[in-house]
Amino acid sequence: MQKLKNRNSILTKGKIIEQINLNNNYYKIKIEAPQIAKEAKPGQFVMLSKWKIKELFLKRPFSFYNIEPNLGTFDILYKKIGKGTQILTESKISDLVELIGPLGNGFNIPESTRKIAVVARGIGVAPLIPLMLESKKKGIEIYSFLSTQTENLLLHSDKVESISKETFYTTDDGSKGAKGKVTNFLEKILKEIVIDVVYTCGSKRLAKHIRNLQKKYNFLAFVSLEEHMACGIGACKGCVRKTKNGYKRVCKEGPVFPVEEVIFND
Amino acid sequence: MTKEVGLEVDLGPLHLKNPIMPASGTFDVKCTLLNENELNRLGAVVPKSIAFKEREGNPEPRICETDCGLLNAVGVPSRGVEYFLKENLPLLQKANDTIIVSLTGNSIEDFCNLAERLNKIKEISALEINLSCPNLNNGIPFGNNKKKLYELIVDIKKNTSKPIIAKLSPNVSDIKEMALAAEKAGTDIINIANTLLGMAIDVEKQVSRLGNYIGGLSGPAIRPIVIRMIWETAQVVNIPIIGVGGVCCAEDAIEMFLAGASAVQVGSANFSNPYIMLEIITGIKRYLKEKKYNSIQNIIGLIKD
Repeated sequence: MQKLKNRNSILTKGKIIEQINLNNNYYKIKIEAPQIAKEAKPGQFVMLSKWKIKELFLKRPFSFYNIEPNLGTFDILYKKIGKGTQILTESKISDLVELIGPLGNGFNIPESTRKIAVVARGIGVAPLIPLMLESKKKGIEIYSFLSTQTENLLLHSDKVESISKETFYTTDDGSKGAKGKVTNFLEKILKEIVIDVVYTCGSKRLAKHIRNLQKKYNFLAFVSLEEHMACGIGACKGCVRKTKNGYKRVCKEGPVFPVEEVIFND
Repeated sequence: MTKEVGLEVDLGPLHLKNPIMPASGTFDVKCTLLNENELNRLGAVVPKSIAFKEREGNPEPRICETDCGLLNAVGVPSRGVEYFLKENLPLLQKANDTIIVSLTGNSIEDFCNLAERLNKIKEISALEINLSCPNLNNGIPFGNNKKKLYELIVDIKKNTSKPIIAKLSPNVSDIKEMALAAEKAGTDIINIANTLLGMAIDVEKQVSRLGNYIGGLSGPAIRPIVIRMIWETAQVVNIPIIGVGGVCCAEDAIEMFLAGASAVQVGSANFSNPYIMLEIITGIKRYLKEKKYNSIQNIIGLIKD
Protein backbone atom coordinates (compact mmCIF):
# COMPACT_ATOMS: atom_id res chain seq x y z
CA MET A 1 0.00 0.00 0.00
CA GLN A 2 1.36 3.43 -0.91
CA LYS A 3 2.41 5.34 2.17
CA LEU A 4 1.31 8.91 2.59
CA LYS A 5 4.71 10.29 3.31
CA ASN A 6 7.60 11.97 1.55
CA ARG A 7 10.27 9.27 1.29
CA ASN A 8 12.98 9.84 3.91
CA SER A 9 12.53 13.58 4.36
CA ILE A 10 12.05 14.82 7.89
CA LEU A 11 11.67 18.07 9.81
CA THR A 12 14.40 18.27 12.42
CA LYS A 13 16.72 20.59 14.32
CA GLY A 14 20.38 20.87 13.37
CA LYS A 15 23.26 22.32 15.36
CA ILE A 16 25.81 24.64 13.79
CA ILE A 17 29.24 23.33 14.70
CA GLU A 18 31.45 25.37 12.42
CA GLN A 19 31.19 28.52 10.32
CA ILE A 20 33.98 29.81 8.09
CA ASN A 21 34.06 32.97 5.98
CA LEU A 22 35.83 31.63 2.88
CA ASN A 23 36.24 34.96 1.14
CA ASN A 24 34.18 38.07 0.48
CA ASN A 25 30.56 36.97 0.71
CA TYR A 26 31.14 33.23 0.62
CA TYR A 27 30.72 31.09 3.72
CA LYS A 28 30.89 27.45 4.71
CA ILE A 29 28.78 26.18 7.56
CA LYS A 30 28.89 22.73 9.17
CA ILE A 31 25.66 21.41 10.63
CA GLU A 32 25.15 18.43 12.87
CA ALA A 33 21.90 16.65 11.98
CA PRO A 34 22.56 12.90 11.99
CA GLN A 35 19.22 11.76 10.57
CA ILE A 36 19.63 14.00 7.53
CA ALA A 37 23.38 13.34 7.09
CA LYS A 38 22.67 9.60 7.12
CA GLU A 39 20.21 9.80 4.21
CA ALA A 40 21.65 12.65 2.12
CA LYS A 41 22.88 11.99 -1.41
CA PRO A 42 25.01 14.22 -3.66
CA GLY A 43 22.78 16.67 -5.51
CA GLN A 44 20.05 16.70 -2.86
CA PHE A 45 19.27 19.72 -0.69
CA VAL A 46 17.79 20.88 2.61
CA MET A 47 15.32 23.64 3.41
CA LEU A 48 16.78 25.63 6.30
CA SER A 49 15.61 28.37 8.65
CA LYS A 50 17.38 30.08 11.48
CA TRP A 51 14.57 32.52 12.12
CA LYS A 52 11.02 32.56 13.42
CA ILE A 53 8.24 32.39 10.87
CA LYS A 54 7.18 36.01 11.50
CA GLU A 55 10.74 37.30 11.11
CA LEU A 56 11.32 35.72 7.72
CA PHE A 57 8.51 33.71 6.25
CA LEU A 58 10.07 30.85 4.33
CA LYS A 59 12.93 28.43 4.69
CA ARG A 60 15.77 28.65 2.17
CA PRO A 61 17.07 25.78 0.02
CA PHE A 62 20.77 24.82 0.25
CA SER A 63 22.44 21.91 -1.51
CA PHE A 64 24.77 19.57 0.31
CA TYR A 65 28.40 20.50 -0.18
CA ASN A 66 29.99 17.86 2.00
CA ILE A 67 28.21 14.90 3.57
CA GLU A 68 29.68 12.97 6.50
CA PRO A 69 27.14 10.29 7.43
CA ASN A 70 29.44 8.73 10.03
CA LEU A 71 29.95 12.02 11.84
CA GLY A 72 26.29 12.95 11.44
CA THR A 73 27.18 16.24 9.77
CA PHE A 74 26.96 18.01 6.45
CA ASP A 75 28.36 21.28 5.10
CA ILE A 76 26.73 23.90 2.98
CA LEU A 77 28.50 26.52 0.95
CA TYR A 78 26.58 29.74 0.57
CA LYS A 79 26.86 33.28 -0.65
CA LYS A 80 25.46 36.16 1.39
CA ILE A 81 22.82 37.61 -0.90
CA GLY A 82 19.70 38.39 1.12
CA LYS A 83 18.13 38.55 4.56
CA GLY A 84 18.20 34.79 5.13
CA THR A 85 21.87 34.33 4.32
CA GLN A 86 22.66 37.53 6.26
CA ILE A 87 21.12 35.95 9.38
CA LEU A 88 23.12 32.76 8.71
CA THR A 89 26.40 34.68 8.62
CA GLU A 90 25.67 35.90 12.15
CA SER A 91 25.48 32.30 13.43
CA LYS A 92 27.39 31.24 16.48
CA ILE A 93 28.66 27.77 17.28
CA SER A 94 25.89 25.62 18.85
CA ASP A 95 23.11 27.78 17.37
CA LEU A 96 20.17 25.70 16.18
CA VAL A 97 18.61 25.68 12.75
CA GLU A 98 15.40 24.05 11.57
CA LEU A 99 15.77 21.72 8.60
CA ILE A 100 13.60 19.76 6.21
CA GLY A 101 15.51 17.17 4.24
CA PRO A 102 17.04 15.51 2.48
CA LEU A 103 15.01 16.69 -0.50
CA GLY A 104 14.96 16.24 -4.25
CA ASN A 105 16.63 13.73 -6.51
CA GLY A 106 20.40 13.56 -6.37
CA PHE A 107 22.84 13.08 -9.21
CA ASN A 108 22.55 9.84 -11.08
CA ILE A 109 25.86 8.14 -11.87
CA PRO A 110 24.98 5.62 -14.59
CA GLU A 111 26.46 2.11 -14.42
CA SER A 112 29.63 1.63 -16.45
CA THR A 113 30.56 5.33 -16.26
CA ARG A 114 34.33 5.63 -16.65
CA LYS A 115 35.02 9.30 -17.21
CA ILE A 116 33.01 12.35 -16.17
CA ALA A 117 33.39 16.08 -16.51
CA VAL A 118 32.12 18.64 -14.02
CA VAL A 119 31.61 22.20 -15.16
CA ALA A 120 30.87 24.96 -12.67
CA ARG A 121 30.91 28.67 -12.29
CA GLY A 122 31.56 30.19 -8.87
CA ILE A 123 29.54 28.69 -6.06
CA GLY A 124 27.95 26.28 -8.54
CA VAL A 125 30.79 23.94 -7.66
CA ALA A 126 29.27 23.25 -4.20
CA PRO A 127 26.81 20.41 -5.02
CA LEU A 128 29.27 18.92 -7.52
CA ILE A 129 31.95 18.17 -4.93
CA PRO A 130 30.05 15.33 -3.17
CA LEU A 131 29.30 13.93 -6.63
CA MET A 132 33.01 14.03 -7.46
CA LEU A 133 33.92 12.28 -4.20
CA GLU A 134 31.38 9.55 -4.84
CA SER A 135 32.56 9.13 -8.44
CA LYS A 136 36.17 8.93 -7.28
CA LYS A 137 35.20 6.12 -4.87
CA LYS A 138 33.79 4.21 -7.83
CA GLY A 139 37.06 4.58 -9.69
CA ILE A 140 35.69 7.10 -12.18
CA GLU A 141 38.11 9.60 -13.74
CA ILE A 142 37.09 13.24 -13.23
CA TYR A 143 37.87 16.25 -15.41
CA SER A 144 36.96 19.57 -13.78
CA PHE A 145 36.28 22.87 -15.47
CA LEU A 146 35.96 25.84 -13.13
CA SER A 147 35.04 29.34 -14.08
CA THR A 148 34.85 32.47 -11.95
CA GLN A 149 35.16 36.24 -12.11
CA THR A 150 38.61 36.36 -10.57
CA GLU A 151 41.07 33.99 -8.93
CA ASN A 152 40.31 34.78 -5.29
CA LEU A 153 36.64 33.85 -5.85
CA LEU A 154 37.60 30.28 -6.73
CA LEU A 155 36.09 28.08 -4.05
CA HIS A 156 37.89 25.00 -2.82
CA SER A 157 39.90 24.63 -6.01
CA ASP A 158 42.57 22.70 -4.04
CA LYS A 159 39.93 20.13 -3.12
CA VAL A 160 38.70 19.93 -6.69
CA GLU A 161 42.27 19.51 -7.96
CA SER A 162 42.97 16.72 -5.46
CA ILE A 163 39.93 14.74 -6.64
CA SER A 164 40.28 15.45 -10.36
CA LYS A 165 42.55 13.93 -12.95
CA GLU A 166 42.79 17.33 -14.56
CA THR A 167 41.42 20.74 -13.60
CA PHE A 168 40.98 23.64 -16.01
CA TYR A 169 40.35 27.24 -15.03
CA THR A 170 38.96 30.27 -16.70
CA THR A 171 38.57 33.67 -15.08
CA ASP A 172 36.89 36.77 -16.49
CA ASP A 173 39.98 38.87 -15.75
CA GLY A 174 42.55 36.23 -16.69
CA SER A 175 43.95 36.10 -13.13
CA LYS A 176 43.90 32.30 -13.15
CA GLY A 177 43.91 30.06 -16.21
CA ALA A 178 42.59 31.53 -19.41
CA LYS A 179 40.05 34.21 -20.21
CA GLY A 180 36.95 33.20 -22.13
CA LYS A 181 34.54 30.30 -22.05
CA VAL A 182 35.26 27.36 -19.77
CA THR A 183 33.34 25.15 -22.19
CA ASN A 184 36.07 25.78 -24.81
CA PHE A 185 38.37 23.71 -22.59
CA LEU A 186 35.64 21.12 -22.26
CA GLU A 187 35.37 20.88 -26.03
CA LYS A 188 39.13 20.42 -26.32
CA ILE A 189 38.97 17.46 -23.94
CA LEU A 190 35.88 16.04 -25.65
CA LYS A 191 37.85 15.97 -28.91
CA GLU A 192 40.60 13.90 -27.26
CA ILE A 193 38.83 11.48 -24.95
CA VAL A 194 35.42 9.91 -24.41
CA ILE A 195 33.57 11.57 -21.55
CA ASP A 196 30.51 9.54 -20.51
CA VAL A 197 28.69 12.13 -18.41
CA VAL A 198 28.94 15.90 -17.94
CA TYR A 199 27.50 17.50 -14.80
CA THR A 200 26.89 21.16 -14.16
CA CYS A 201 25.06 23.34 -11.67
CA GLY A 202 23.36 26.69 -11.50
CA SER A 203 24.40 28.64 -14.56
CA LYS A 204 21.90 28.59 -17.44
CA ARG A 205 24.59 29.84 -19.78
CA LEU A 206 26.92 26.92 -18.99
CA ALA A 207 24.06 24.44 -19.32
CA LYS A 208 23.22 25.87 -22.75
CA HIS A 209 26.82 25.56 -23.94
CA ILE A 210 26.92 21.99 -22.66
CA ARG A 211 23.69 21.22 -24.49
CA ASN A 212 25.27 22.43 -27.74
CA LEU A 213 28.39 20.34 -27.17
CA GLN A 214 26.20 17.36 -26.33
CA LYS A 215 24.61 17.49 -29.78
CA LYS A 216 28.08 17.36 -31.34
CA TYR A 217 29.88 14.87 -29.07
CA ASN A 218 27.04 12.73 -27.74
CA PHE A 219 27.40 12.29 -23.98
CA LEU A 220 24.96 12.22 -21.08
CA ALA A 221 24.59 15.59 -19.37
CA PHE A 222 22.85 16.65 -16.19
CA VAL A 223 22.22 20.08 -14.75
CA SER A 224 21.28 20.87 -11.18
CA LEU A 225 18.84 23.79 -11.34
CA GLU A 226 18.25 26.53 -8.80
CA GLU A 227 14.91 28.22 -8.23
CA HIS A 228 13.17 30.14 -5.48
CA MET A 229 11.26 27.63 -3.37
CA ALA A 230 8.47 27.96 -0.84
CA CYS A 231 8.02 24.44 0.53
CA GLY A 232 10.81 22.33 -1.01
CA ILE A 233 8.65 19.20 -0.84
CA GLY A 234 6.56 19.55 -4.00
CA ALA A 235 3.35 20.89 -2.46
CA CYS A 236 3.32 24.53 -3.58
CA LYS A 237 4.15 24.08 -7.31
CA GLY A 238 6.10 27.33 -7.03
CA CYS A 239 9.62 26.33 -8.15
CA VAL A 240 8.86 25.10 -11.66
CA ARG A 241 11.05 25.28 -14.75
CA LYS A 242 9.86 24.76 -18.28
CA THR A 243 10.93 21.42 -19.79
CA LYS A 244 10.09 19.55 -22.96
CA ASN A 245 7.48 17.68 -20.91
CA GLY A 246 5.82 20.78 -19.45
CA TYR A 247 6.55 22.53 -16.16
CA LYS A 248 8.52 20.44 -13.68
CA ARG A 249 9.08 21.19 -10.02
CA VAL A 250 12.78 21.82 -9.33
CA CYS A 251 12.33 20.54 -5.75
CA LYS A 252 10.50 17.35 -6.59
CA GLU A 253 11.25 16.17 -10.14
CA GLY A 254 14.68 17.87 -9.86
CA PRO A 255 16.83 19.63 -8.92
CA VAL A 256 18.90 17.47 -11.30
CA PHE A 257 17.56 17.26 -14.85
CA PRO A 258 18.95 15.89 -18.11
CA VAL A 259 20.26 18.97 -19.93
CA GLU A 260 18.29 18.16 -23.09
CA GLU A 261 14.98 18.22 -21.21
CA VAL A 262 15.28 21.77 -19.93
CA ILE A 263 14.10 24.67 -22.06
CA PHE A 264 16.41 27.67 -21.63
CA ASN A 265 14.56 30.79 -22.71
CA ASP A 266 17.25 33.37 -22.30
CA MET B 1 -8.40 13.60 34.67
CA THR B 2 -9.41 16.92 33.15
CA LYS B 3 -12.18 16.87 30.65
CA GLU B 4 -11.03 17.18 27.04
CA VAL B 5 -12.19 20.42 25.43
CA GLY B 6 -14.48 20.02 22.43
CA LEU B 7 -13.16 21.13 19.05
CA GLU B 8 -16.08 19.87 16.98
CA VAL B 9 -17.89 22.38 14.84
CA ASP B 10 -20.85 22.25 12.49
CA LEU B 11 -20.53 24.43 9.43
CA GLY B 12 -24.15 24.21 8.37
CA PRO B 13 -24.44 20.71 6.89
CA LEU B 14 -20.71 20.04 7.21
CA HIS B 15 -19.55 18.49 10.46
CA LEU B 16 -15.86 18.79 11.38
CA LYS B 17 -14.08 16.98 14.21
CA ASN B 18 -11.96 20.07 14.64
CA PRO B 19 -11.84 23.44 12.87
CA ILE B 20 -8.29 23.36 11.42
CA MET B 21 -7.56 22.39 7.83
CA PRO B 22 -5.13 23.32 5.05
CA ALA B 23 -5.93 26.10 2.61
CA SER B 24 -6.24 24.92 -0.96
CA GLY B 25 -2.95 25.09 -2.84
CA THR B 26 -0.76 24.60 0.21
CA PHE B 27 -1.30 20.89 0.73
CA ASP B 28 -0.60 17.97 -1.59
CA VAL B 29 -1.41 14.49 -0.34
CA LYS B 30 1.38 13.15 -2.55
CA CYS B 31 3.95 15.55 -1.06
CA THR B 32 3.49 15.73 2.67
CA LEU B 33 5.69 15.04 5.67
CA LEU B 34 2.64 14.08 7.73
CA ASN B 35 1.82 10.42 8.17
CA GLU B 36 -1.69 8.98 8.03
CA ASN B 37 -2.35 9.37 11.76
CA GLU B 38 -1.23 12.97 11.70
CA LEU B 39 -3.33 13.77 8.62
CA ASN B 40 -6.33 12.20 10.31
CA ARG B 41 -5.99 14.64 13.19
CA LEU B 42 -6.89 17.54 10.88
CA GLY B 43 -10.45 18.79 10.62
CA ALA B 44 -10.42 18.14 6.87
CA VAL B 45 -8.07 17.87 3.93
CA VAL B 46 -8.34 20.35 1.07
CA PRO B 47 -6.36 19.57 -2.08
CA LYS B 48 -5.29 22.19 -4.61
CA SER B 49 -8.10 23.45 -6.84
CA ILE B 50 -8.96 21.09 -9.65
CA ALA B 51 -10.06 22.04 -13.15
CA PHE B 52 -12.31 19.96 -15.38
CA LYS B 53 -9.56 19.56 -17.97
CA GLU B 54 -5.78 19.62 -17.60
CA ARG B 55 -4.16 23.07 -17.41
CA GLU B 56 -0.49 23.84 -16.96
CA GLY B 57 -0.38 26.97 -14.80
CA ASN B 58 1.68 30.15 -15.10
CA PRO B 59 5.22 30.66 -16.37
CA GLU B 60 8.09 30.87 -13.91
CA PRO B 61 9.05 32.52 -11.65
CA ARG B 62 5.87 31.70 -9.76
CA ILE B 63 6.73 32.76 -6.23
CA CYS B 64 8.64 35.36 -4.32
CA GLU B 65 8.85 36.16 -0.65
CA THR B 66 7.93 39.68 0.39
CA ASP B 67 8.02 41.27 3.85
CA CYS B 68 5.99 38.95 6.10
CA GLY B 69 4.38 37.32 3.11
CA LEU B 70 4.51 35.21 0.02
CA LEU B 71 3.50 36.42 -3.41
CA ASN B 72 2.48 33.64 -5.78
CA ALA B 73 1.34 33.37 -9.35
CA VAL B 74 1.23 29.59 -9.61
CA GLY B 75 -1.92 29.85 -11.73
CA VAL B 76 -3.78 26.72 -10.61
CA PRO B 77 -2.09 23.98 -12.64
CA SER B 78 -4.33 20.89 -12.61
CA ARG B 79 -4.17 17.43 -14.11
CA GLY B 80 -7.93 17.53 -14.54
CA VAL B 81 -10.83 15.96 -12.67
CA GLU B 82 -10.46 12.38 -13.93
CA TYR B 83 -6.80 12.23 -12.94
CA PHE B 84 -7.73 13.64 -9.54
CA LEU B 85 -10.40 11.00 -8.96
CA LYS B 86 -8.11 8.16 -9.99
CA GLU B 87 -4.79 9.23 -8.48
CA ASN B 88 -5.47 11.59 -5.58
CA LEU B 89 -8.86 10.74 -4.13
CA PRO B 90 -7.84 7.25 -2.88
CA LEU B 91 -4.90 8.81 -1.01
CA LEU B 92 -7.08 11.59 0.39
CA GLN B 93 -9.49 8.98 1.73
CA LYS B 94 -6.67 7.46 3.75
CA ALA B 95 -5.64 10.90 4.96
CA ASN B 96 -8.94 12.09 6.41
CA ASP B 97 -12.65 11.30 6.55
CA THR B 98 -13.56 14.86 5.53
CA ILE B 99 -12.44 15.82 2.05
CA ILE B 100 -13.22 19.29 0.74
CA VAL B 101 -12.54 19.63 -2.97
CA SER B 102 -11.71 23.07 -4.32
CA LEU B 103 -12.90 23.82 -7.85
CA THR B 104 -11.54 26.21 -10.44
CA GLY B 105 -12.98 27.18 -13.80
CA ASN B 106 -13.18 29.97 -16.31
CA SER B 107 -16.90 29.80 -16.96
CA ILE B 108 -20.14 28.84 -15.25
CA GLU B 109 -20.17 25.77 -17.48
CA ASP B 110 -16.70 24.67 -16.22
CA PHE B 111 -17.87 24.83 -12.61
CA CYS B 112 -21.18 23.10 -13.33
CA ASN B 113 -19.42 20.26 -15.15
CA LEU B 114 -17.13 19.76 -12.19
CA ALA B 115 -19.95 19.95 -9.65
CA GLU B 116 -21.99 17.41 -11.56
CA ARG B 117 -19.05 15.04 -12.02
CA LEU B 118 -18.26 15.09 -8.28
CA ASN B 119 -21.84 15.06 -7.00
CA LYS B 120 -22.18 11.28 -6.79
CA ILE B 121 -18.75 10.69 -5.27
CA LYS B 122 -19.67 9.98 -1.70
CA GLU B 123 -16.15 10.37 -0.27
CA ILE B 124 -16.23 14.09 -1.05
CA SER B 125 -17.74 16.05 1.84
CA ALA B 126 -18.06 19.52 0.32
CA LEU B 127 -17.10 21.63 -2.68
CA GLU B 128 -15.17 24.88 -2.30
CA ILE B 129 -15.64 27.34 -5.15
CA ASN B 130 -12.52 29.35 -6.01
CA LEU B 131 -14.15 32.66 -6.98
CA SER B 132 -10.87 34.39 -7.76
CA CYS B 133 -10.74 32.69 -11.15
CA PRO B 134 -11.25 35.17 -13.98
CA ASN B 135 -14.49 34.68 -15.84
CA LEU B 136 -13.70 34.05 -19.49
CA ASN B 137 -16.76 36.02 -20.56
CA ASN B 138 -15.53 39.35 -19.30
CA GLY B 139 -12.13 38.66 -17.70
CA ILE B 140 -13.39 39.83 -14.32
CA PRO B 141 -13.18 37.25 -11.54
CA PHE B 142 -16.56 35.91 -10.34
CA GLY B 143 -15.59 37.10 -6.88
CA ASN B 144 -15.49 40.72 -8.04
CA ASN B 145 -18.95 40.86 -9.54
CA LYS B 146 -21.87 40.08 -7.25
CA LYS B 147 -24.30 39.41 -10.07
CA LYS B 148 -21.98 36.86 -11.75
CA LEU B 149 -21.12 35.38 -8.37
CA TYR B 150 -24.81 34.90 -7.61
CA GLU B 151 -25.52 33.30 -11.00
CA LEU B 152 -22.54 30.96 -10.64
CA ILE B 153 -23.54 29.67 -7.20
CA VAL B 154 -27.18 29.23 -8.22
CA ASP B 155 -26.13 27.18 -11.24
CA ILE B 156 -23.61 25.10 -9.29
CA LYS B 157 -26.31 24.31 -6.70
CA LYS B 158 -28.47 22.92 -9.51
CA ASN B 159 -25.73 20.39 -10.27
CA THR B 160 -24.85 19.14 -6.82
CA SER B 161 -26.38 18.32 -3.48
CA LYS B 162 -23.06 18.69 -1.66
CA PRO B 163 -22.44 21.61 0.70
CA ILE B 164 -21.00 24.59 -1.17
CA ILE B 165 -18.25 26.79 0.24
CA ALA B 166 -17.85 30.10 -1.57
CA LYS B 167 -14.22 31.21 -1.31
CA LEU B 168 -14.47 34.95 -1.68
CA SER B 169 -11.91 37.25 -3.23
CA PRO B 170 -10.65 39.98 -0.87
CA ASN B 171 -9.95 42.23 -3.86
CA VAL B 172 -13.26 44.07 -3.55
CA SER B 173 -14.31 47.30 -1.92
CA ASP B 174 -17.06 45.70 0.15
CA ILE B 175 -16.71 42.03 1.07
CA LYS B 176 -20.14 42.06 2.77
CA GLU B 177 -21.93 42.59 -0.53
CA MET B 178 -20.20 39.55 -2.03
CA ALA B 179 -20.93 37.45 1.04
CA LEU B 180 -24.60 38.43 0.97
CA ALA B 181 -24.85 37.61 -2.75
CA ALA B 182 -23.32 34.20 -2.07
CA GLU B 183 -25.68 33.58 0.84
CA LYS B 184 -28.70 34.60 -1.19
CA ALA B 185 -27.64 32.18 -3.95
CA GLY B 186 -27.73 29.30 -1.49
CA THR B 187 -24.09 29.04 -0.42
CA ASP B 188 -23.78 26.90 2.70
CA ILE B 189 -20.46 28.25 3.97
CA ILE B 190 -18.36 31.31 3.20
CA ASN B 191 -14.57 31.24 3.05
CA ILE B 192 -12.81 34.57 3.70
CA ALA B 193 -10.60 34.97 1.80
CA ASN B 194 -8.39 34.15 -1.14
CA THR B 195 -5.04 35.94 -1.63
CA LEU B 196 -4.76 39.71 -2.11
CA LEU B 197 -3.49 40.87 -5.48
CA GLY B 198 0.05 42.16 -5.37
CA MET B 199 3.21 42.70 -7.36
CA ALA B 200 6.95 42.91 -6.71
CA ILE B 201 9.80 44.20 -8.84
CA ASP B 202 13.48 43.28 -8.75
CA VAL B 203 15.10 46.73 -8.70
CA GLU B 204 18.52 45.41 -9.68
CA LYS B 205 17.30 43.65 -12.83
CA GLN B 206 14.31 45.99 -13.20
CA VAL B 207 11.95 43.12 -13.97
CA SER B 208 8.84 41.73 -12.31
CA ARG B 209 9.62 39.08 -9.73
CA LEU B 210 6.75 36.97 -11.08
CA GLY B 211 6.38 35.54 -14.58
CA ASN B 212 2.73 36.56 -14.49
CA TYR B 213 3.57 40.07 -13.14
CA ILE B 214 0.59 40.05 -10.78
CA GLY B 215 0.22 37.47 -8.03
CA GLY B 216 -1.65 36.72 -4.85
CA LEU B 217 -0.24 37.79 -1.49
CA SER B 218 -0.57 35.46 1.48
CA GLY B 219 1.12 35.21 4.86
CA PRO B 220 1.13 37.24 8.10
CA ALA B 221 1.13 40.53 6.13
CA ILE B 222 -2.52 40.07 5.12
CA ARG B 223 -3.97 38.75 8.38
CA PRO B 224 -5.30 42.06 9.78
CA ILE B 225 -7.17 42.66 6.52
CA VAL B 226 -8.75 39.22 6.66
CA ILE B 227 -9.67 39.60 10.35
CA ARG B 228 -11.49 42.81 9.47
CA MET B 229 -13.33 41.12 6.61
CA ILE B 230 -14.37 38.15 8.75
CA TRP B 231 -15.64 40.47 11.47
CA GLU B 232 -17.56 42.69 9.03
CA THR B 233 -19.13 39.72 7.27
CA ALA B 234 -20.05 37.89 10.46
CA GLN B 235 -22.32 40.86 11.35
CA VAL B 236 -24.43 40.48 8.24
CA VAL B 237 -24.64 36.82 7.18
CA ASN B 238 -26.38 33.89 8.83
CA ILE B 239 -24.14 31.18 7.43
CA PRO B 240 -20.82 29.98 8.91
CA ILE B 241 -17.47 31.46 7.90
CA ILE B 242 -14.14 29.74 7.35
CA GLY B 243 -11.28 32.17 7.91
CA VAL B 244 -8.02 31.99 5.98
CA GLY B 245 -5.08 34.34 5.59
CA GLY B 246 -1.72 34.49 7.33
CA VAL B 247 -2.42 32.14 10.24
CA CYS B 248 0.95 31.02 11.63
CA CYS B 249 0.15 29.95 15.20
CA ALA B 250 -2.73 29.13 17.55
CA GLU B 251 -3.14 32.79 18.60
CA ASP B 252 -3.64 33.82 14.97
CA ALA B 253 -6.32 31.15 14.53
CA ILE B 254 -8.02 32.15 17.80
CA GLU B 255 -8.12 35.75 16.57
CA MET B 256 -10.14 34.51 13.58
CA PHE B 257 -12.57 32.59 15.80
CA LEU B 258 -13.09 35.66 17.97
CA ALA B 259 -13.76 37.73 14.83
CA GLY B 260 -16.49 35.29 13.83
CA ALA B 261 -14.93 32.39 11.91
CA SER B 262 -16.21 28.89 12.73
CA ALA B 263 -13.22 27.15 11.18
CA VAL B 264 -9.76 28.22 10.04
CA GLN B 265 -7.59 27.21 7.10
CA VAL B 266 -3.82 27.38 7.33
CA GLY B 267 -2.09 28.30 4.10
CA SER B 268 1.45 29.29 3.25
CA ALA B 269 2.65 28.77 6.84
CA ASN B 270 2.50 25.05 5.99
CA PHE B 271 5.46 25.66 3.69
CA SER B 272 7.70 26.86 6.52
CA ASN B 273 6.53 24.28 9.01
CA PRO B 274 4.71 21.20 7.69
CA TYR B 275 3.53 20.36 11.24
CA ILE B 276 2.07 23.78 11.96
CA MET B 277 -1.59 22.72 11.71
CA LEU B 278 -1.07 20.06 14.39
CA GLU B 279 0.70 22.61 16.61
CA ILE B 280 -2.21 25.01 16.13
CA ILE B 281 -4.76 22.36 17.15
CA THR B 282 -2.78 21.69 20.34
CA GLY B 283 -2.45 25.42 21.01
CA ILE B 284 -6.20 26.02 20.62
CA LYS B 285 -6.98 23.27 23.13
CA ARG B 286 -4.53 24.81 25.60
CA TYR B 287 -6.12 28.26 25.19
CA LEU B 288 -9.64 26.92 25.71
CA LYS B 289 -8.55 25.05 28.84
CA GLU B 290 -6.77 28.07 30.26
CA LYS B 291 -9.75 30.28 29.61
CA LYS B 292 -12.05 27.58 31.01
CA TYR B 293 -14.17 27.02 27.92
CA ASN B 294 -15.34 23.52 27.19
CA SER B 295 -15.81 24.01 23.46
CA ILE B 296 -14.38 25.98 20.56
CA GLN B 297 -17.96 27.01 19.87
CA ASN B 298 -17.86 29.19 22.99
CA ILE B 299 -15.41 31.62 21.39
CA ILE B 300 -16.77 31.94 17.84
CA GLY B 301 -17.62 35.62 17.30
CA LEU B 302 -16.90 36.37 20.94
CA ILE B 303 -15.04 39.64 20.39
CA LYS B 304 -16.17 41.95 23.19
CA ASP B 305 -17.17 45.60 23.05
